[in-house]
Amino acid sequence: MTEGTLEALAAALASGTVSSLDVTRRCLARIARLDGRIRSFITVDGDGALATARTLDAELRAGRSRGPLHGVPFAVKDLCHVRGLPTSCGTKTAEYFRADVECAAVRRLRRAGVVLLGKLNMTELALGPFGDNAHHGDVQNPWRPGHSAGGSSSGSAAAVAAGFALGALGSDTGGSIRLPAACCGVVGLKPTYGRVSRAGVMPLSWSLDHVGPLTTTVRGAALVLQAIAGRDPRDPTTSRRAVPDYGSTLDDPVSGMRVGVPENYYFDGIDPEMEAGVRGAVRAIEALGATVVTLRLPDPEALVGVANVIARSESAAIHGRVVRERPHELQPAVRARLEVGFNISAHDYLQAQRLRARLTREFVVEVFRAVDVLVAPVIPEPAPALDGVKAGSVEDVVRRMGRFSRLTRPFSALGLPALSVPVGLSADGRPLALQIVGRPFDEATVLRLGHAYETATGRLRGLLQPHLVD
Amino acid sequence: MLSRDDRAVLAAVADLAAVIERTAADLALTEEPSGFIAALEGEADADD
Repeated sequence: MTEGTLEALAAALASGTVSSLDVTRRCLARIARLDGRIRSFITVDGDGALATARTLDAELRAGRSRGPLHGVPFAVKDLCHVRGLPTSCGTKTAEYFRADVECAAVRRLRRAGVVLLGKLNMTELALGPFGDNAHHGDVQNPWRPGHSAGGSSSGSAAAVAAGFALGALGSDTGGSIRLPAACCGVVGLKPTYGRVSRAGVMPLSWSLDHVGPLTTTVRGAALVLQAIAGRDPRDPTTSRRAVPDYGSTLDDPVSGMRVGVPENYYFDGIDPEMEAGVRGAVRAIEALGATVVTLRLPDPEALVGVANVIARSESAAIHGRVVRERPHELQPAVRARLEVGFNISAHDYLQAQRLRARLTREFVVEVFRAVDVLVAPVIPEPAPALDGVKAGSVEDVVRRMGRFSRLTRPFSALGLPALSVPVGLSADGRPLALQIVGRPFDEATVLRLGHAYETATGRLRGLLQPHLVD
Repeated sequence: MLSRDDRAVLAAVADLAAVIERTAADLALTEEPSGFIAALEGEADADD
């Protein structure tokens, strides 16, 4: 029961087939046995998790269910402030980040009845797409140890892929939910900007940060999103827009849905197996009755440039203190990315914000007049070897980071909902994935297509997670 | 004397500045950052 789907476990818990205490014990035992190799956790709160599981079991026996997530073991990226646990944000400093309020998404998940197992490993300060971390250990890809789990929500993706938790929270500024989800063969959702509160989460870039779920299936992601989405007065950037019932439309047919595949930028120079996997998935989607159209997407490179100016400037403003006072504590590539932000002019930052507004307006009007969703690759190649991504000069590493995240950054800049869904494995067993991108606040359509694809292709009956041996 | 890393940082900054110069040249006076939220909320082209 530790491996498999959140929704299957939720059903078993609700029917009393299994107790939350039992499944939590199994998750903790599995973590103890196997995470020494994977390095997905920074802090495991075994006592807290077991106490919570006992309480939730008692509630269920008394007929009080909190909903579909009642009793489900869960974990969160170590930039979410959680009462009683340190928040390192992947740095050398155990308590790098403290907030006045607990992470709003965690608070909502607790209210929904999850069992919090602990805090997950991540790229230092969320500044990198490979999940390497000199302080807490490089997160290993459970499908292919020695290879990147993606980042920066590396532990989140690896823990779900390895069956340590049935769901995880991550954050995404330039791709940091979708990249590790793609690398680790799990589902990852970056919601619309403002759909989920960022209160109590370490900021990397106020304009670009998103919080979202990683799970083994799209239905699981929908269940988690349902719990965490919605207006939060503690995060004034959250939208007042009502949260729809994502589950009620998840099984609706997708025939007639207009699906756009970009003819520019997104397939340029990508790994042939990755391209074949994504295009094969597009054919499967077409076989479901969707109408597939090829179209030219406006200016992805401008979007990447705009996103980089905004992200670097805001990151430097937020984390400048550690760069000035303790630069030696930071990994060199992380420090270099922050230092770029100190040198961007206020003029350029403001122009980037103005451009972002224009590019978003034009994109939403132009593209979503023609299609309902877009489908594109997430990563240009399957999970690369960790030795390779860390090799060379700082400049080499930073350049490699930019190339690996070039397919996710445009949609981060636009703030659009984007869902990474596994589409198979490469010849040597590394996950392949695509991303489904929708209109603002149209997570329901994005999730519906992802779920239809999973169901139709039999993914849910196949191997969802790698077999890990002791 | 700038280190290699310093030069790399400045080169990255210059690249970003060039993108801005190229793409922001024709921004209208009325285009402001809050237009991003308006675009997401579907209010960008709303009539009164």
